[in-house]
Amino acid sequence: MNSHLNRHWSPLLLVAAMLVSLAQPALASETIPRLANGKPDFSGIWQTTSAADYDLEPHSNRKDTPPGAGIVEGGVIPYLPEALEKKKKNFEHRESLDPARKGWTLGVPRAVYYPEPFQIFQRQADLNLVPQFGHSVRTIHTNGTDHPKDPNDWWLGDSRGYWEGDTLVVDVADFNDKTWLDSAGNFHSDALHIVEHWKFLDNNTIAYKATIEDKNVFSRPWNIDVILYRHREKNFQLIEDYRFTLDYDQYYPPKPDNK
Amino acid sequence: MKSRNNQHYARLVSRMVLAVSLLPAIGVAADDVQTKPAPAPLGGGIAQEKTVPIIVVGKWAGKRLADGQPDISGHWSNTIANHNNFTDPQGRIPGEPDKPGVKRKELGPRDQRAPSRVSDPLDGQLPLQDWALAKVKEFQVGFHNPVKQEYVEPLARCAPAGIPKSLFWHGYEIAQYRDYVVFFFGSGTRIIHLDSKPHLPDNIKLWNGDSRGHWEGNTLVVDVANQNGKALLGRSGEFISENAHIDERYIFSPDGQRYNYVAVFTDKDVYTRPFTVTIPARKWTTKDKPNGWHFEVEKANGPHGDIEHYERICTENNGGFGLGAASPGK
Repeated sequence: MNSHLNRHWSPLLLVAAMLVSLAQPALASETIPRLANGKPDFSGIWQTTSAADYDLEPHSNRKDTPPGAGIVEGGVIPYLPEALEKKKKNFEHRESLDPARKGWTLGVPRAVYYPEPFQIFQRQADLNLVPQFGHSVRTIHTNGTDHPKDPNDWWLGDSRGYWEGDTLVVDVADFNDKTWLDSAGNFHSDALHIVEHWKFLDNNTIAYKATIEDKNVFSRPWNIDVILYRHREKNFQLIEDYRFTLDYDQYYPPKPDNK
Repeated sequence: MKSRNNQHYARLVSRMVLAVSLLPAIGVAADDVQTKPAPAPLGGGIAQEKTVPIIVVGKWAGKRLADGQPDISGHWSNTIANHNNFTDPQGRIPGEPDKPGVKRKELGPRDQRAPSRVSDPLDGQLPLQDWALAKVKEFQVGFHNPVKQEYVEPLARCAPAGIPKSLFWHGYEIAQYRDYVVFFFGSGTRIIHLDSKPHLPDNIKLWNGDSRGHWEGNTLVVDVANQNGKALLGRSGEFISENAHIDERYIFSPDGQRYNYVAVFTDKDVYTRPFTVTIPARKWTTKDKPNGWHFEVEKANGPHGDIEHYERICTENNGGFGLGAASPGK
């Protein structure tokens, strides 16, 4: 009986399926912006709408934080016991310890999901990521070069990208230990190593995924997953935000003595 | 307003050319720049040249990018001096006290050094209002003994060097994209928008201002508003106000290896009249040896001989200038 029905209906189903597929927009891979060399062109101004920077892990609302389901796969960052104690202290004293609250460089991957826009300037050989907050430029090299043989410990690490189809894969290493992962005190050491995946969902949306490992702080690699939206407001632009300079803003420029 | 500015500018350029040709050390014909490489460095330090080459405003016949912009991307630096002294660039920091036991080399006559960055007025001095001149003189004393917060140079606190100082501090990279020319300085980033969007609202004030540019032949013309007026012009303490307006021209040589920055500053709050700043610059390529002032690049770890610039971040006072990765030391 069942097989009879299937035989009877299957041609109709096939036609229906074809009609549905015709009504769908073209695949994202066919319409996304591309560079002259055919690689996806991520140029534009991007920002997350998530509450990731407030706390990567799931959290209820707090006085200084909107609630959020977090962007950590599995919900929990796998800290080593000692590191978890440090994270708790960071959280407790986040108002004075969070580097971002002092206007310092956000680091990687935090600058990707910090709640201010960042702009990607892309060429065939590299992508320069300029966050509005701090304007600290992160270069992702896509010219086939590898991490330096004699690296420094950098604030933003060293980023080397390559293409897997339409996905930009970036290996980031050679960090210092001075940036945080969010404003809830999640942190890393100078052994931080990140592998990022950047991929268009459609022309105006990027799926960003990263695998984070740090043998000094975490018991295993863990993943985050966040979506970035293109700013499409008329005349939208970055407005430089050198927040740390506000501490001495009042002393410049000189003014006439009577003013 | 625009046409007045243009006339003013044309007059200034002709004056600048005249002024340059009158200086004894500068016998540069117009086509020298087009045919000869940059003169040999003066000792390989900050100061490479004493003169400002003549680069004529005109058509661009060189390489273009896919979007039509003249291709001037690459590593650049000024050729004259750093930010120690704005109007006597190869002179000393004004008011610099003698160090006990250190005999300083005599500077010699003024005309043996590079001309002032101020190309108009012709005397090379900034037309500061009296009160502003008094503030500059006060800073020139205070700089060497900063007992007041105002005497600390903002750049030494990791603030962006601003305009125009970013152009004569360390070397920098100019990158071009559709609708943008971007300057990656060691002390901040400057994004020049080429898409004719309006300036930001007037009450938004920025270290690097808000820049709108377009190409006229070999010249990148940039209109800068929204200054915060906080970045000094040099360690000599000159400054502009937050109401300053800057009309910049980056005039590129036919071979794309040089440009002259010629900018008219209009600032009724601090100056008695508009003035023009001229800063010559040259390009650096893989043929050049990297150096710590002008061309701070590293060999990339790859097979093609690429060069790259490591991250530009300011850490603790004087640990490298640029961006606020750490708090000011003072």
